[in-house]
Amino acid sequence: MIKKLNLILIALLFLKIEVSAQKTPEKLLTFKYGKVNPEEFETKAHGADSAAAAVKLFEVGNAHFEVGPSGTFVYVLERHVRYKIINKQAYDLANVEVRLYRDGQGSEEKMDFINGATYNLKDGKVETSKMNNDAKFTSRLDDKHIVKKFTLPNIKEGSIIEYRYRTKSDFTFRLDDWYFQDRYPTRYSSFSIIVPDYYIYKINAGGYININQLKPISSTSNYSIPNATSRTENVSISTVESQYYVEDAPAIKSESYITTLYDYISKIGFELNATNFPNTGYKAYTSTWPKIVKEMMDHESFGGFIRKNSASKALVKEIIKQETDPEAKTNLIFNYVKNNLKWDNKYRVYTEASNQKAILEKKSGNSAEINLVLLGLLDAAGLECYPVLVSTRENGTHPGYPLATKFNSVIVMAGNGEKKYLLDAVDKNNVKDLLSYENLNHKGLKIDRTAVDGEWVSTDNTLASKTSVFYNLVLDKENKLKGTLSVSKNNYDAVETRNSYQTATNEEEFLKGYKLNKPGLEISNFKIDNVNNPDEALIESMDVTIEDNIETAGNLSYFTPLLFERVKQNPFSLEERNFPVDFAHPNEHSYRLSIEFPEDYKLDQIPKNERFKLPDDGGTFSILYTVEGNRLNMVSKISILKTTYSPDEYYNLKELYKNIVRKQAEQIVFKKS
Amino acid sequence: MKLNTCLFLALLCCTGLASAQETYDTAGIPAELLTKSTAVVRMEEQNFTVKNTHNATYNYKIAITVLNKNGDGFSYMSEYYDKFSSIYNLKAVMYDAKGIKIRSYKSSDFKDESITSEGTMYDDNRRKGLVFLNATYPYTIEYSYSKDYNGYLSFPSWEPIEAYDLAIEKSSYTLEIPKSINFRYLKSEQLKTDSTVTDTKTTYKWACQKLPAFEHEPMSVGLKNLVPWVTASPNEFEYDNSKGNVENWKNLGSWVYQLSNSGQILPENTKAIVKTLIASAKTDKEKIAILYQYLQSNTRYVGVQLGIGGFKPITAEKVAAVNYGDCKALSNYMKALLSEAGIASHLVIIGSGLPSLKTKYASFGQANHMILCVPAAKDTTWLECTSQHTPVGYIGDDNAARTVLLVTEEGGKLVNTPVYTPEANLQSRKTTVLLAPDRSAAIHIKTSYCNAQYEGMLRMLLIEPVEQRKKLMNNLGIPNMEISSASFLQPDKTSPKIEEDIVLNSSQMLTQGGDKLFLTLNLLNRRESVPAKVENRKTSFSVPYGYRDTDEIIYTLPEGYKAEFVPQDILLESEFGKYTAKAVLKDNTIVYTRNQQMNSKKYTPEKYKDLVDFYKKIYLADKQKVVLAKVN
Repeated sequence: MIKKLNLILIALLFLKIEVSAQKTPEKLLTFKYGKVNPEEFETKAHGADSAAAAVKLFEVGNAHFEVGPSGTFVYVLERHVRYKIINKQAYDLANVEVRLYRDGQGSEEKMDFINGATYNLKDGKVETSKMNNDAKFTSRLDDKHIVKKFTLPNIKEGSIIEYRYRTKSDFTFRLDDWYFQDRYPTRYSSFSIIVPDYYIYKINAGGYININQLKPISSTSNYSIPNATSRTENVSISTVESQYYVEDAPAIKSESYITTLYDYISKIGFELNATNFPNTGYKAYTSTWPKIVKEMMDHESFGGFIRKNSASKALVKEIIKQETDPEAKTNLIFNYVKNNLKWDNKYRVYTEASNQKAILEKKSGNSAEINLVLLGLLDAAGLECYPVLVSTRENGTHPGYPLATKFNSVIVMAGNGEKKYLLDAVDKNNVKDLLSYENLNHKGLKIDRTAVDGEWVSTDNTLASKTSVFYNLVLDKENKLKGTLSVSKNNYDAVETRNSYQTATNEEEFLKGYKLNKPGLEISNFKIDNVNNPDEALIESMDVTIEDNIETAGNLSYFTPLLFERVKQNPFSLEERNFPVDFAHPNEHSYRLSIEFPEDYKLDQIPKNERFKLPDDGGTFSILYTVEGNRLNMVSKISILKTTYSPDEYYNLKELYKNIVRKQAEQIVFKKS
Repeated sequence: MKLNTCLFLALLCCTGLASAQETYDTAGIPAELLTKSTAVVRMEEQNFTVKNTHNATYNYKIAITVLNKNGDGFSYMSEYYDKFSSIYNLKAVMYDAKGIKIRSYKSSDFKDESITSEGTMYDDNRRKGLVFLNATYPYTIEYSYSKDYNGYLSFPSWEPIEAYDLAIEKSSYTLEIPKSINFRYLKSEQLKTDSTVTDTKTTYKWACQKLPAFEHEPMSVGLKNLVPWVTASPNEFEYDNSKGNVENWKNLGSWVYQLSNSGQILPENTKAIVKTLIASAKTDKEKIAILYQYLQSNTRYVGVQLGIGGFKPITAEKVAAVNYGDCKALSNYMKALLSEAGIASHLVIIGSGLPSLKTKYASFGQANHMILCVPAAKDTTWLECTSQHTPVGYIGDDNAARTVLLVTEEGGKLVNTPVYTPEANLQSRKTTVLLAPDRSAAIHIKTSYCNAQYEGMLRMLLIEPVEQRKKLMNNLGIPNMEISSASFLQPDKTSPKIEEDIVLNSSQMLTQGGDKLFLTLNLLNRRESVPAKVENRKTSFSVPYGYRDTDEIIYTLPEGYKAEFVPQDILLESEFGKYTAKAVLKDNTIVYTRNQQMNSKKYTPEKYKDLVDFYKKIYLADKQKVVLAKVN
């Protein structure tokens, strides 16, 4: 089921940074804090954003490193922003929140400086209102987060607001992404960073707009480094300044069927590749997959946790007992973990607990803890298995090249030789190769612990999630439909129903939910099979009576044959689409209806049988009618066979759904004699 | 519903010997508590000991058995605190189905976090919490803690059945209070109060046992009438260096009055602005409108809850300097502006979106908001000072039609806010539809939305056209449509009314069936569902707000077709409202008119089936179709 990884999508998403094209200026624009020209008040948004509630006039980030009190390097970022507020819808821009992290072991992010002001134009003159200290607030969010908030004074429609602040961070491994795009149009956004030669960063750029880069500037900077005698020593270190900018970036707006908007914003990020300190020499961090894998395996909250499996070793015998077949052993272990450990709804790569025993005792944990316990048990049973690092849909697409910090969850690959499958034990409704929906982000990094290497594997579930509905009904002369309904579901469609059944107070409540928005439907003899047996298809069957669905007009009786299952609206209503459509997994919905109608009803004319296809086997829709005596049969089937469709394919997808809406609305008409 | 199961357990407790180790074997849960429940409170003990006018201690212990996955929602502990209270002695344990302890929690397992809501700059509300996790059912959680108050405004209330699907084995509330301290309480009708008196203190006790769960019922408002509850409040309090008496609404109003009264001094330049602004205004009404407009275009809402537990408004002087504030600060500022114009007004304590203040029982916690009232002999004006958009005098559906407290120099006075009638919450729509033989249609829709319906549309008025179109595409429900133009206007800034004008095409206005075409007459305002039936409904219900919709659609039939069937007129009338639908065929046009009015009222449980029936008839009427046939 695991197919070959398609890398084209990645290539589409991650554009190259353009280095000094001909027109590129030599310097970034500079903006003086507090100096606002009256002309800036005339700023208007244009083009597709002409109705924007604000325009970001500029956002400038200047980053460098300095030596902190403890003698280590600290990452310093000064951010300077100016917005023109066009209308009240953008007033929230004047309230700013910055979240600061601390690890509880002495390393932290700090904000040591905030300035803010509002400018209003009055009689052609710029009137400045400075933000006072009583408009700045600090609150302790929880153990690990402080939030700094501030609010700017005298905001009116037409105001210009400006603020700058400086943060200092002990965390130099991954630097915060710089976004060149915003939910408001941006005139100019630049980011410059001066990195001492001691640090070598890998750059991760993404988005749909090209990012310009100036020629890097090499120079030297002086750093005062405290020495043993509590005096400081001035050291001159070579540095490289990298500068990036984007001009006139349009506002970014969300669309349906995407992973996360952050996958589409133009941005740049930095992750430490190596350090080269004079005393310790060159130390590579994560430049290659083997190095990343080694780092992770050495990490006490990943590799350490995997190795500390004495409790799993003791437990596994109880789970597998006399079983000898590897696949059967895997099933027993997977079921044990799924059914006994409760997920805390957190996606993590690292464990909080230091060993598997703690999790097996607590019987709950984050995604890393649960899936690495699964791995530990598989290990203990002597089965071949691999941790697979993934980035969830909400966390965004991994750019593909060796970058450790983009992963936020772990799943497991198991199986022998060619017959490998993925396991995700956070939900007891998951089965082999059926991961939690959030993990359907196309690929994962399989960690080979023996070879100390990583390899991309596809996490796409290529089997369609199917729902098959079958009504077998008799129409009586009172225009009531009576008969049976059976619904069969698998994969994600089944997961959804299993969840709603399991989270209902009782079956009665579940049926209430089932009947909601199906006016006229009454259910009896409801039966559900395999609700707690996720390896099998979920089957619901029931007797139904349906009223109020057949309408009459004179001697005509008519109805829509897709009783409650009709696609009433095109989910793709927008004229254009900028981002790929990402369904996460293929889908297939089939609907069958068989109706026996009274002898004195005459079926005049039935709708035309039709079939529609997407190019390149992307999907189909068909609707077919047959009549045998006084029985009408119809089948409607929608197959969406790919997980993602490019913006170019959008039009075809939209047309397909247009036909679905049209054909499924057609009426069946009986004439009474 | 029988409530005689609610007994007081004084006797049991007085023996002092009943404190044997609780056992949580789930086999011991009485059968009647297992039907329709998803979790069962095995025991709950809530004790509040008042020491003096500013110190009190709260001890709480509960054990809950979670029966299935749906009950996970009850599997947590959460208690609020702020700088006048602290939580300690936190303990938590989990038991398996047999009642055997499977897990104990350490104090580091409890999470301490800020619960400042989004959009609020500052308050000091915090929470200690713990989420219990277990993969197998049933399981039982038990936790307890103590909380010390250094200053209080009210006493904890008791409401053992706080939610649907939750059954109670036993629960009690003990309130211990020195005789020297006066307090009041309000309780559910049939609940018994037990009190014991000693030389220095009185102990009150309320309890209940074996209460089965209530299942969720649509549109329910009446759960509180069926379950036991107590709410209690001191007459006098000391809080954040402020003393007060809240024995009645008059005194509560006085306390709030003195907190705000000194803070209405405006700086000279603001005074000058007020003078200039109202220079040419003749009536008070005009002045109010001008100053409200000034407030809306110069200030914005920013939540900053500081001072006396967030009850003291930021001064008008400070608001004038920064032009932002919370509901209290902005209402107080507006009061100062009006006062400068020689117009008296009163701050109003209101439960926005909450029930009316209880007229006979004054307490904090019934209100959550402040607005302003400008009294006039005939035409009192109410001002919602945090809104950037609503017209002068319009306070919105959440503030309308409820009992509120005027904060006056003479103390608090209970009054009622204006009522927006169904007729006033009007949506009126005129549509023309030009049908073509290829089943497509050219459609022009003109709608106006008033009052509560205006509020519902306000967002459409404010968002960008691109977003407006996205929303229309999702909301209009016309198959396969393309929008040519869409506009939203508020023609008069002082009137709560939005006008919408949409021109669009649909390639599929008519559906085919055999050799006929079908036209659903009600194009845009169909009722698509009917509320679920409920057998033996227990709770009362209400229609949340009253409104009237009028629709007129003029269809021009496609060339070459004639109407073969036109539905009959429909008139539905009940205490819930009135509905009429009518289609008139004339030459090649059909004029469809539909009127629906719903009344906002509270109804007794047995009326529910009539409501379902009423909605079902509307649902069917809204589906009615005209059948078109080719002209031979």
